[in-house]
Formats: sequence, structure tokens, C-alpha cells
Amino acid sequence: MNIVVCVKQVPDTTEVKINPETGTLIRNGVPSIINPYDHFALQTALELKKKHGFRVTVVSMGPPQAKSVVQMGLALGADEGVLLSDMAFAGSDTWATSYALAKAVKKIGKTDMIFCGMQAIDGDTAQTGPAIAQHLGMAQVTFCEHVEVDGRRIIARKQIDGGYETVECRPPALFTMIMHKDYVPKYPSFLAVHASLAKPYHVWSAEDIGAEAQYLGLKGSPTQVSKIYPPPQKEKAEMFAGSGQAAAERILEIMRKEHFTQ
Amino acid sequence: MIEVSKKCIGCGKCVPVCPFAAINMIDKKAVMNEACTLCGVCVQICPVQAIAITREEASRRDHSGFKGVWVYVELTETGDKTHPKKIKPVTFELLGAGRKLADELKEDLCAVLLTDKDHGYEKELGSYGADKVYMVEHDELFEYNTDIFSTVVVSLVNRHKPSVMLYGATIQGRDLAPRVASALYVGLTADCTALAIKDGLLLQSRPAFGGNIMADILSPNSRPQMATVRPNVMKMNEPVHGRTAMTVRESAKLDKSLRRVKVLERKLSHDGGGVRIENAKIIVSGGRGMKTKDKFKLLDELSKLLGGVVGASRAAVDLGFKEKTHQVGQSGTTVSPKLYLSFGISGAVQHIVGMKSSDVIVAVNKDPNAPIFNVAKYGIVGDAHEIAPKLIEALKKK
Amino acid sequence: MASIDTISRNLMLDSLREYAKRRIPYDLIRELDEKNEFPADILKEMYEHDVLGLHLLMVPAEYGGVSGGTFDIYRVCEMLARIDLGIATGVFATFLGTDPLNVGGTSEQKEKWLRRIASENLLVAYGATEADAGSDLINLRTRAEQVVKNGKIAGYNITGNKQWISNGGVADLYTILAMAPGGPSWFLVERNMEGFSPNKHEDKHGIRLSNTAGLSLDNVFVPAENLIGMEEGKGLLQAQAVFGYTRVMVAAFGLGAGMEALEQAIRYSQQRIQAGTPLSDKQGYTHKLIVPNYVKLEGAKTYIEDVANRLDSGEHGLQTEGAIAKYGASEWGNKAADDAIQALGGYGYTKDFPVEKIKRDIKITCIYEGTSEVLQMTIYRGRWQEHLKSRGRYYLDMADKLDQVHAGEPGAGAHAAALALRALAAVLEECRVHKLTRHQHVTFKLGALICAAETAAVFATACAAQKYGETVRFDRPTWQAMSRVFAREAALGVAMEGLALVLGASENGGDLAEAVNMTAVQAEQKGMIADMDLVAAKLKQTFKAK
Repeated sequence: MNIVVCVKQVPDTTEVKINPETGTLIRNGVPSIINPYDHFALQTALELKKKHGFRVTVVSMGPPQAKSVVQMGLALGADEGVLLSDMAFAGSDTWATSYALAKAVKKIGKTDMIFCGMQAIDGDTAQTGPAIAQHLGMAQVTFCEHVEVDGRRIIARKQIDGGYETVECRPPALFTMIMHKDYVPKYPSFLAVHASLAKPYHVWSAEDIGAEAQYLGLKGSPTQVSKIYPPPQKEKAEMFAGSGQAAAERILEIMRKEHFTQ
Repeated sequence: MIEVSKKCIGCGKCVPVCPFAAINMIDKKAVMNEACTLCGVCVQICPVQAIAITREEASRRDHSGFKGVWVYVELTETGDKTHPKKIKPVTFELLGAGRKLADELKEDLCAVLLTDKDHGYEKELGSYGADKVYMVEHDELFEYNTDIFSTVVVSLVNRHKPSVMLYGATIQGRDLAPRVASALYVGLTADCTALAIKDGLLLQSRPAFGGNIMADILSPNSRPQMATVRPNVMKMNEPVHGRTAMTVRESAKLDKSLRRVKVLERKLSHDGGGVRIENAKIIVSGGRGMKTKDKFKLLDELSKLLGGVVGASRAAVDLGFKEKTHQVGQSGTTVSPKLYLSFGISGAVQHIVGMKSSDVIVAVNKDPNAPIFNVAKYGIVGDAHEIAPKLIEALKKK
Repeated sequence: MASIDTISRNLMLDSLREYAKRRIPYDLIRELDEKNEFPADILKEMYEHDVLGLHLLMVPAEYGGVSGGTFDIYRVCEMLARIDLGIATGVFATFLGTDPLNVGGTSEQKEKWLRRIASENLLVAYGATEADAGSDLINLRTRAEQVVKNGKIAGYNITGNKQWISNGGVADLYTILAMAPGGPSWFLVERNMEGFSPNKHEDKHGIRLSNTAGLSLDNVFVPAENLIGMEEGKGLLQAQAVFGYTRVMVAAFGLGAGMEALEQAIRYSQQRIQAGTPLSDKQGYTHKLIVPNYVKLEGAKTYIEDVANRLDSGEHGLQTEGAIAKYGASEWGNKAADDAIQALGGYGYTKDFPVEKIKRDIKITCIYEGTSEVLQMTIYRGRWQEHLKSRGRYYLDMADKLDQVHAGEPGAGAHAAALALRALAAVLEECRVHKLTRHQHVTFKLGALICAAETAAVFATACAAQKYGETVRFDRPTWQAMSRVFAREAALGVAMEGLALVLGASENGGDLAEAVNMTAVQAEQKGMIADMDLVAAKLKQTFKAK
């Protein structure tokens, strides 16, 4: 089977800082990382490759430096890498992004399974995966923890509201991955990074994938950002600082005052 | 296109705020490189309005025929044989929010219900504010399935042309809505925390960058304007008994071949014993500052002593301190307990949007500038993993 | 060797950082430090090809490595130093031990040994130092006698003792410097050779995770093919040839460990509330303990990167530059770590916080690969020649260039750096006229002043550039403020100390105050506190409390 994994380079949002005076983001020094859910999706795909000998292609969309996440995929064992990079893509919302990614999948060729992270930590929309599936007319299984393949049967364990389901489907299908709790992310060795430079890697423009300009970028995006602003802040808290013991006593005092304990 | 006009004074204020490090100062003028995503942060920070983003107008579609605010009705299993399914509370919250939008637009508020068997849901939907219920009753709708449900919803939208459509940002809503939006080529905004009408358009507010900033989103050129809304964010209206909705029955041609994904097994955790986090009165929550999984376990003990439930930040869940089901925040559960006691959570807005409506927030964190203190009523500056055991000790003594 | 592309290098660094996060937490390091124990399993694991393959950085791709350049090695060394300087030293010893082979080995020797080091993950040790031969290798006592069979040299019998050899007790392969009949020469000695035995592991002040031991060689027979380069007497040249490069590595150690200590202090200072406000908001704290140190290290970093890039673009030697890089980074790093303890107060003095260990560890960077004093001399010697050769124009020309830089970008501190260089030229000239370099103290002191002035020049030039290097973590206004603080201090230091130096050594040096342009140097100090305020604020933002 042929697998495509979609990965995104994101700012490490746990490191993003806010300038308290202006309420704006401070980007300096914040590292770019592979979206953690995509990292898990990639690892799931590569385990299937190891087990069944599938062919894995890693695809990302972003500026030239997003090559990093594609190369990481190659270094971890993927066979081929693709970066969609073109100013025409800038400003794309999830609709336009998924349109471009779907076009890229078509260009890559016959695809049996697509893996995506459940969502990206910079946008938290969880929309791109299902939207790609719709563009390609594929079945989808979202919020998966585990995916295994048995011949032409694909079995996935997925989260649902209030529990879990085990589902079955046949290729072609798209899976979006959440992380299961025992997951340990893998990083490539120096040798693997070096070797990945020799693997096939392509940078494709909008024209290369046959995407129509009217569906790309700001123009092709049905949603528009009208304003960005810092989250509202409440009144300042009543602060206290002291030793562990004093702090514990202070908390007890608060709970008494607020009638949670005697 | 993003352009910097001659007005640029080279002050450099836009450089550090760019979330993508896409701005360089070249010859004392801001220049955007290829990392730019046209997000617009720089446009707002520029003190002299020198930066402008222009968008080519997409071909305007005719929106005149699109009327009505729709709410997708989500059903959940009860385990009860006579009433195997009931309406999820988030649906009523959406009706509460949708009611205001519909009144402002002077349009109908409509519920969209897909089910295999009608159990008089329309009455309940009417009492919570729906004017109309579009009901599709079909055997193939016995459980949620992406292909079948999206096919039905897309055909209903095409037939009746609503102007707004809301879904709960539940797993089901987040599975269905992007599929529908993609098929219809319409805008969809995920995980909204506020909705309003502005110049006849749906103004959708949501956190971004892990909740570090807020964004207002519009979908001016497509209908319906679709959004998913987080549970526990909108207030549901008090039900008005006797208020009824007009039921419009719709047919659907469905057959088994549409069902490409089949459910083999379903396990629902009805949470024997423990209180679910979204309903808890007291939540003791921990973050990265608890340092280790072992130290995090102290919070289990503490919450037991207080009769509460344990919550966790995304960082704590990512580090494996606690299961995902305990996660509070944007990508976890939204909660509003009487007491929210947090240990070692700095309070990325992604977390804060999920707990800020708690009645009393007591936060322990070692950084006095941590954003959690902006929403807390009481702040304790100190090492969470040292204070937690002392508090347990003190509580045991009493 | 050219460096690896940026994206690949950053992927490697990410992998190293994640490995350390998972596998080498501070609690483990602290335990090993107390036990004075070398973590052989960690070193071996870091060499595993599918884990990291760290040692492959030093091996060209044609022999199974990844062909790291100087810049790559600097980046990796800097990160290793942030993790633990003892572990870093263990890795460094392999790099260093491999060097004579890389520099002087014949193609057959490289094919055989580099391939073995790469594929068998050999730990290597560099055996040069002896009790009476440290930086002065000419006093070498270890002997290599020719063993002649059938009229041909079949091999050598090596006898002698080596001291303070990193990886000495644990390496698989040793490159040993010994005096052959034709002069000092490098030999490859395997651990299992007869007559070879390591001594006991030293009980050291710091870098206690690094194994350090003496070596005894008692008539160890090595085959002739193990003579590196297959030619006697090339040993010192081969050692010299890589000094520019190996000193960049140790400079990276001083930089990494020093930065780590400071960053921990910066994070701490935001949590410690004193009299109602955090320490990070108090000038008396930040402007004494944090800002001056950070600025110095940022300068050292810029200098190191400049040397690394020059080596990678094909320049050879750069012994003086390597010495400046190492002297600055290790001395300033050492001071930064010392101040980091002070910044943490009582906590800093306990082993609960890593700064105490960093302080003990970092001291070694002022000692190994050339002590600071040897480096001061090296720097002086190198530049004194330039001063004489150019008839005093060397630093004046450099200052002219800086003035041009200043004309294009007035905010980068280039003018102050130019003042430092001009003052330096005046001091050197005064020393020449009055023959003051007959005092050793003067020469060593000149070495230190040269280091400050040249670093200021490189820092200001980099700050004025259109595009900043990949490691700069600050916005333009902040980085330029750092450069201005650095350059002002350098100008003031060179002028004042140079003046004092000359006045102290000569009968007449009356006009020097004018020659070093003290008035301009003092006027240049304007804006210092505002710049330090900005730097303190940005450091707080960049290294937030965790």
C-alpha cells in the first residue's frame, strides 16, 4: 500500500510568550517544531511501513524552511518527501490548505492511506484532515489512537465522545491521529539525517500540482481573519508568596474564607 | 498580498510580534519574507498604518436566498432501552446562542435532527428556542457515521439554504463539520468561544496559537457561515414548556453502501464512581510545574481530600502525568466548577479558555508573571510540587 | 571541511536535545557527579548509529561518517556543554583523538581506522600530555624506539607515562605522542596491546562524569603501519595544525556551560521575590550579575562563529583566532558561572541547583587545550608580529573598517569597537618604542586586551549585517544594544588598562592618554545604562521562568 503523511511545521506554542505591555506575541527565540500530533501520525505510518513494507511519502505545506519537517520524516524512514511552497499558498485557511494538499496527493499517485495529526497546535482547528478526505472522496476515521492493517482490512481504535470505538474500513481512507499515552516520540540519528539528504525530495508550486489560483491563499479561503487581539484579562489576583508551609496555610485560609472548608 | 508603504518609519515594532519571524528590517523598512502567512498581526501593531494586506475579491456568490440559523442536533446514548438516545446539552447551548443570532438577523432558528427513530425530540428542541425542526428519520441513521451523516446534511443545506450553521465542537461535530464545509466550499471556524452578528455577518471569536491570542473570523463570501462551538461556553436558555417548534420532515435516500467505516466495538466510559470532570464542583488541576508523574499523583490524594476531581494542563498530559480525559482547556474539556485549584499551571490561554468561568480560581505557580494569575482570584507564588504535600498534610491534620 | 546544511544540522541538534532530555536528567548527572562516575552506557548509546551516532560528526562521509564541519562541531559541543561538561569532554576526547588521523593519516590509515571508529563506535583518547609536558610538548619523555627486522622498520616499542588523559581509562583506541628517532610522532595504540595499561581514574574538582586517567606504556610494540602519516617527526606540526579548530570546540564548551548557568539564573531571578519585586527587576542585581556576563558571552559566541565559518570556508590554521575564541569564551564563561552562583544566593551554593556543578565543571575550560595564560601568550605573539609587520597599521586598518561599518549602521557599537582598536594600536606602539615587551606581564596582559578588542570588532560587524546568523535569539535592537555594551566596555578596558600597563612599565608614557583617546572613550559611555536596561528586560522575556 501507499501511504501519505501530512505534517506541519508549527511554532512551539508552549514556548510562545506574550508581551504583557502590548499583549502581542513574542516570536524571537521560539523554536519551530513538527506539530506533535503529526509526529505521532508519522510514527504510526512508519511502523506500518516497517511491518508491511508500505511506501511512505511525507507532505508538508509552508515556507522553504518547512523542509525541516519533511526531512525529519525522511530521516525517520519515509521514502519520499514533498514540500508545497509557493507564495500563492500564503494566507490559506483550512479549506484552501486541504484543497492544495489533496491536489498534491493526486499528483503523488495512487494512495491507499493518508495520515494526519488530529490538529495543529498553532491553529487547533482539526479541520484539514477531514477536508482533505472530502476533497479526495475518501473515507475518514478521525481522532485515532491506533491503526493496524490486516490484508485489505484496516482496523482503527478511535476516540468518540465519552469513550472509544474500534472501527473497520478499506482503503483508501484518511486517519487523523491523537497521541496515545505510552507514545514516545522518536528523533532521527545523525546518520539518518545525513542519509535523508539522498532521498527523493521535491518542492512543488501551485502550478506543479495543478491547483487553480482562485482556490488558493487569501482569495480562495472562505474564512477571513478580521482582527487579532490579546485575550481579555481579568482583575489582578490577590497575591501571596512564601514558603511551602506558609503557602499551604494560606490556601486553607482562602478555602475557609470562600466556604469550601470549615 | 502584503505591502509596506512609504509610511514605514523603520521603528521595528512589527519584527518581534510576527509569529512566523517573517519580517526583516532592510534599509530601515519592514520587508516580509516567504514565511509570511498573511496573518495580520503586524498590520495591527504598526503605529503608522504602513502595512496593508489586500485580498483580491473572490467572485461574489449570490447570498440573497440564504436564510435561517441552523443548529446541528447531537444525540448521545443513554444505555436506557426505552429511550436509547437523548439530546446532548451542547445542543441546547447552541440553541441559546443561535436564538440571539436569529433574533438579530430576524430569521428562524432551526434544529437539524438525524435519527433512526423519533422520540419526541422536537418538543424539547422547541422548548429550548427552536422555531423549526428539520427531521430526517431513516434506519441507516441509527448511529453516527461520517459518510451517511455528511451526505444528509449537505443535501439539507442545498435544499433549504441556511445563512448560519452551528455544531458542537465535540468529536462528532469536529468530524462532521469540516466534511460538510469542504463539500459545500463554505467557511468553517473551529472552536468558537463567542459569536455575534456584525453588519449582517457572523462574527466568530476563537483563540489561536495555543490560546496565546484571540482572532475574530468572518466568512463573508460563502453561505452558510459555519462554526463549531465548544461545550460549556455558551449559556443555554431556560426551557419554556409548551413552546413548540414546527417540524419539517425530510426524506433521504440512503443505502448501506454509503457506510464505508463500520463500528466493530464501542466502549463508553460512563465513569462508574468518579464524577466526570465537566460536572465537577471542585477541580484540583496540575501542570508542568508538578515536575514528575509521581509528584502529580499527590493531586489525586489532594482532590480526594477535598471531594473533587483531578484536572490537568495540556503540558501535563503531553508529559504523561495524567490521561487525556482529565485535560482542561482548548484541546481538552471546558469546565466551570465552584473551585478551581491549580498547581504549576502557567496558564497558556489554551488552558485558560477552558477554566476561566470557574467561580473561584486559586492558582499556585512559581512565576509571579504567569498568565494564570490574570484569571485567578487568589495567587500563590511558589513551587507547586512543594506546596501540594504541605497542603495535604495540613488537611489531614484537621 | 564545509559545514552541513542548516536544516540537517538543526535536526541533529534537536535529536541530541531530545535524547538528553529523556536520558540524562539532572538527577542522574548529580548522582554520577557525586560518585565520580563515567557513564559508559550513555556514551556508548550516544554513539549507536540508530540512536545518535555523535562521533560520526568527526568522520568524513567516505569512511562512514557524516562529514561535520567546524560550525557543526561547535554547535554540538555547545549543546553538549549545556547538558554536562563531563559527558561533553568524553565526546570531545574522541574528536580530539581522531584529529591526528584526520590531519596526518595516510589514505590507507584513514580507510582502516576512521572506518573502524565510525562502524565500531570506538571511544578514542588523545594521549599527548605528560607530567612535564603540557602545552610545552617539546619536553616529551615518552620514547618510541624502532624495531628493525630484516633491515626494515617493523614497528616501534613505546615506553613512557601520560597524564590527565580524557577517556584514558575507558577508550578503545589511543593516539599517543612519542619521541621517535626522527622527532615527535603520533602512534595508534589499541587498549589490548601488551605493556599498555591505564592508571586510576582521577578525583577531580569538576567534570567528574569524564574519565581522566594516566597511561603507562611499558615497551608497547606497535606495528610500523600505526605511525600516523608513516613518517617520523611530524607530530608537533600535526598537533599544531588543528589547534585553531580544537580550541573552537573548547571555546564552545565555555560558551555553552556559561550560557546555561546564566539562563538558569535569569529564570530564577523572576521567581525570587525580594521586598515585593522579583530580583529580575532590580538593576543592582541584573546589571552586576547578569547583563555584563551575558553580553560577554554573546560576544564570544559571535567570535567563535566567525572563526568556525572561516575554517569551514577553507582558511587554514587560525591559531591566534582559535586562541582568542577559547580565551574569551572560557574566561567569561567561568566568570558567568561564578556570578550565576551569586545570583542564586544560598540556593546557588547547594547541589540542588545545577549552577554549582557548572561552576566546578567550567573551570576546566580555562585549563585544558592550552591554559588561559598560554593562550594570552599565543595571542600576543601572533598579533605582535602583525603589529610589527604592518608598521603599526594592523589595528588602525581594522579600526578604519569598523568606522565604515559605523557609517552604514550607527547602532551596532562599531564606533566604540573602533576606539578600542585604536587604543590598542597606540598601546602596542608605545610598548614597541619603549621595549616594554621584555616584561612578560606586559605581553600576557596585551593578549587579554587583544581578545577584548577583537571580539568587540567582530561582534559589532556581525550586528551591523543585514541578516543575522541562525543562532541569534534576539531582535535587532536588543542584539545591537548587547554589542554596544560589549564595545564600550572593551574600549574603556583597553584604554584604561593599556594606559596603566604602559605607565607601570616605562619611565615616560605621558602622552598616551591622548593617544588612546581617553576623552572619546569616556564620551562613548553615554547611553550605557539605558542599553543595559533594555538587555535585562529582553533577557527576562527570552528566558522566562519555567
